[in-house]
Amino acid sequence: MEPPNLYPVKLYVYDLSKGLARRLSPIMLGKQLEGIWHTSIVVHKDEFFFGSGGISSCPPGGTLLGPPDSVVDVGSTEVTEELFLEYLSSLGESLFRSEAYNLFEHNCNTFTNEVAQFLTGRKIPSYITDLPSEILSTPLPTPGPCSFANPDSVSPELGPCPTEILAGLAGSARPFGQALRPLLDSIQIQPPGGSAVGRPNGQS
Amino acid sequence: MPHVISRTPRMAQSGHPSGLPTDRNIPPSVTRVIVKTAGKQEEFMIADNILVSQFKEKLSAHFKCQMDQLVLVFMGRLLKDHDTLGQRGILDGHTIHLVIKSKHRSRSLAHSSQNLLTKDPCHRDRNTKGNNNGVYQPADVSHTPVESALPMDPDVPKVQTQDLEMDSPECIEQMLQNPSIQQLLSNLGLMRQFISEHPDMQQWMQQNPEVSHLLENSEILRQTLELARNLAMIQEIMQIEQPEQTIEHPLSPQSYSDLETMPGGDNALDQSSADCNNHMLNSLQDPFGGNPFTALLGGHVLEPAQSSPPSPPQPQKRQDQLPQLPTTRVIYTSSRGLSSNTSANVDPNKVSHTSSASTTAISTEGWSHNCAIQQPDGVPALPSIELTQQPQGEDKDTTISLNSSDQKLEGDPQLSDEQTSSQITGSMMQLLLNNPYLAAQMMLFITMPQLSEQCRQQLPTFLQQTELSDTLLALANPRASQAILQIEQGLQLLATEAPVLLPWVAPYLWGLGWLPSPSCS
Repeated sequence: MEPPNLYPVKLYVYDLSKGLARRLSPIMLGKQLEGIWHTSIVVHKDEFFFGSGGISSCPPGGTLLGPPDSVVDVGSTEVTEELFLEYLSSLGESLFRSEAYNLFEHNCNTFTNEVAQFLTGRKIPSYITDLPSEILSTPLPTPGPCSFANPDSVSPELGPCPTEILAGLAGSARPFGQALRPLLDSIQIQPPGGSAVGRPNGQS
Repeated sequence: MPHVISRTPRMAQSGHPSGLPTDRNIPPSVTRVIVKTAGKQEEFMIADNILVSQFKEKLSAHFKCQMDQLVLVFMGRLLKDHDTLGQRGILDGHTIHLVIKSKHRSRSLAHSSQNLLTKDPCHRDRNTKGNNNGVYQPADVSHTPVESALPMDPDVPKVQTQDLEMDSPECIEQMLQNPSIQQLLSNLGLMRQFISEHPDMQQWMQQNPEVSHLLENSEILRQTLELARNLAMIQEIMQIEQPEQTIEHPLSPQSYSDLETMPGGDNALDQSSADCNNHMLNSLQDPFGGNPFTALLGGHVLEPAQSSPPSPPQPQKRQDQLPQLPTTRVIYTSSRGLSSNTSANVDPNKVSHTSSASTTAISTEGWSHNCAIQQPDGVPALPSIELTQQPQGEDKDTTISLNSSDQKLEGDPQLSDEQTSSQITGSMMQLLLNNPYLAAQMMLFITMPQLSEQCRQQLPTFLQQTELSDTLLALANPRASQAILQIEQGLQLLATEAPVLLPWVAPYLWGLGWLPSPSCS
């Protein structure tokens, strides 16, 4: 009996903020985020990802995001391409329909995690899957020495600096991330460049 | 015989109650595995030495499918029938993935094989044309990412890459029904880009440059349409004014209207507009004569005028002035009308020199307006001050072109008195900005309406009585205007503080002509 073919499975990680999150998250959210991660699975020389348009596929690195910011080796799989596409089509009709997309709870990383476990039994790194909860749990900003409510401490020429403005804006009862929740919920990400997978006649 | 009890959260049925308790006293050989399939997962209690094939039997009964449709995947490895679960390392609590292959194997094979066959062209298509399904949609963000999704190909991609019927018309029809495509079609910017990049369109645009300009500027398009509607009106105006003209023009207004009716704006029209502008300058001399502030400009202008060559204005770039040409004509006609009104009042010869110098200076200094629109009632307002505004640099000989008249005469180019006055006020504002002393004077005039009324009535006679050029030159002197301003300020202050003292200064006002002498009141 011939040994089964092993196909490598890679995880492509893209930072949607292109580095801005790492620089601005301490100011805006109060905690350090390394990036806004979008991931996709690359197997059988194809990249598969989930967006607001459903499951899509493209040549590796073929979305508008360009080459990935990092590549994680997930493992290898015996699952053939045919079987994998069957699996994807069943997913696309059940759990990962296009309308099921939700930026926080059911996003591209959810899909990637699911597929990675199917293919290799392993999950994707936790810093990716923990991102939504990280954002939603951002703490209340603590008033600094020169807070927005204290205009006296601010130099009259410059006015309040952006940190204070943001602190003032976020000074609601809910955490900053929660305050942004309605806005962020409406955001749908679909990197262009992919084609539909697993739907009859290619319709999303 | 191992008992298989399937517990599912949703299904009410229970397994074989063969006396084995559910949770307690689980024999060590029975393991609980989770089977995940197609978005749902279920738990199964099985012995770990069960053969995969036997497990598959159970699953096929459970999922109502045939055994050969089942494919079990654990840790990325396909489970073969002859293995046992223990051999594969499946322990308690592990998850086994199940894929139920489609029943119609022939169709699924055909589907997958076609996918494989078409994958290479798919790749190519994906690379070159992108896909209209990929729509980056942050909520309420503009469509520019959509445009970038179709990088270079102006044609809408005609292929759904993984579509089975790739070349059939139904595919195209389906694609057109795709909301993404409809979104693209409704994207005006993108459609405009499509149109402009079409080779036939480009050829047409080369022949008629105005078309490209029209495409890019909807404002011009709107104005052009309104002009077309108002051609009759313009012609009427021109014909009315024609018998009154006192200045010769080699080109008759009729020829202008003929050229005007051709919105193509050819070189002939350019040339004619150039000539028209020349004549406009000439015709403006008379209206300038009646204007007291002309020489004000002349005074400002004379010094720089001598340094600059008084070349006749050579208009350039007529193509982008098509909508402005009729305004040229209207202003032209109105100026001629005014010339007929005012020529009787003022001696043209005297001021022609001044105004010619001023016009020359205008042409070379790049002043945008050269229209001498005067109110037909003969009241010399400050219309020619338009000449002063917006010096645009000396290289722009298109001064005679009425560039800014386009902005001033928005909407209906059919010139009415209100429109002229609006243009006048607009130009007045410019002048006032440039000359604060004059602005202050105007403010005083406004605040003292009685005085302003009287001034307006007195001013023409007052100016006519005096040496016009000297007076205007004197006004041009900033110190003189400042002095007058101080006098006015003092008078106003007096009027507010001690009106009773006004009669004491009345003689001064009479002498200045700002108050009617008692004989006249």
